[in-house]
Amino acid sequence: MANDDRDILDALARTAPAPPDVHWGRYRAELREKLETRRQRRSFAVVYANVTLALSAGLAGVLLFFAVWGGRENGTGVDLVTLDEALLGGRLGLLQQYAVVERLDLLEELDVIRNLDGLAAERRG
Amino acid sequence: MEPSDEVLCERVAGRDEAAFDLLVARYQERAYRLAWSITRHAEDARDLSQEAFVRLYQSAGSFGGRAKFSTWFYRVLVNLCLDHRRKNRWWQRWARDDGDDPSGDSLLDRQPAPASDPVDALGRERALSSLWAAVDRLAPQQRAAVILQVQEELPTAEIATVLRCSEATVRVHLHRAVAALRKTVEKS
Repeated sequence: MANDDRDILDALARTAPAPPDVHWGRYRAELREKLETRRQRRSFAVVYANVTLALSAGLAGVLLFFAVWGGRENGTGVDLVTLDEALLGGRLGLLQQYAVVERLDLLEELDVIRNLDGLAAERRG
Repeated sequence: MEPSDEVLCERVAGRDEAAFDLLVARYQERAYRLAWSITRHAEDARDLSQEAFVRLYQSAGSFGGRAKFSTWFYRVLVNLCLDHRRKNRWWQRWARDDGDDPSGDSLLDRQPAPASDPVDALGRERALSSLWAAVDRLAPQQRAAVILQVQEELPTAEIATVLRCSEATVRVHLHRAVAALRKTVEKS
């Protein structure tokens, strides 16, 4: 470094302004407080992370269980029977009125019955 | 025999509170003075130096012992100060005066006592005052390099480690800073 540069740096070193005074006891007390706050925040973050991890793992486990178990059920065909039974169960009221439902078939034929005369006339003509 | 800073730092990594207190006691004044020299704001300097100690406590384990403890700690602190200046640059100038010393003393008032010849002394005080004001206006890296050299008396190699640059870059920072300061002196 050139001598001129050194002179200026030396002048700065000699005349460096002093910072305002600090109460060091208070300074350390504040530091302790900040450290404690940070520790608490950190332990909360650790607990939060662990809980989140546990919940995620649990959810993943449940999903995996259903995926594997459901797949096995489908493979044996038992699931379809159960589904069929459930659907039939839902229509049980309809089955109890089977006699009425049976007659409804006649109504489907009503148009044909009405046109029987016409059809017979057409054949004759 | 007093344990070295490096040994204390290792103990802090093992959550030794007494070692931490001892390191704080050793470095609190230097940390605060350095932070104040960069920020020129007492409250910020207190906060930033305390934050550096908090970081020290939290990451003492990452101190590998490759550099001196003081260099490692200064790096943490200087980074905090430069980041702080970068974040607060625009509104700081608007909201604060340059000299926010709570004592109300100007930079001129805080200089050493005048020499015997009042005219010479006044001229010199003015020059010194404008010199330090010019330091405040330097680019952050240049300013940090100057402060680390003139106040903390760190060698170029350590300043390079603190500022995470090469020694050659530090020399360039110092040279440019001095050139800018010389211009200020010549003007005044």
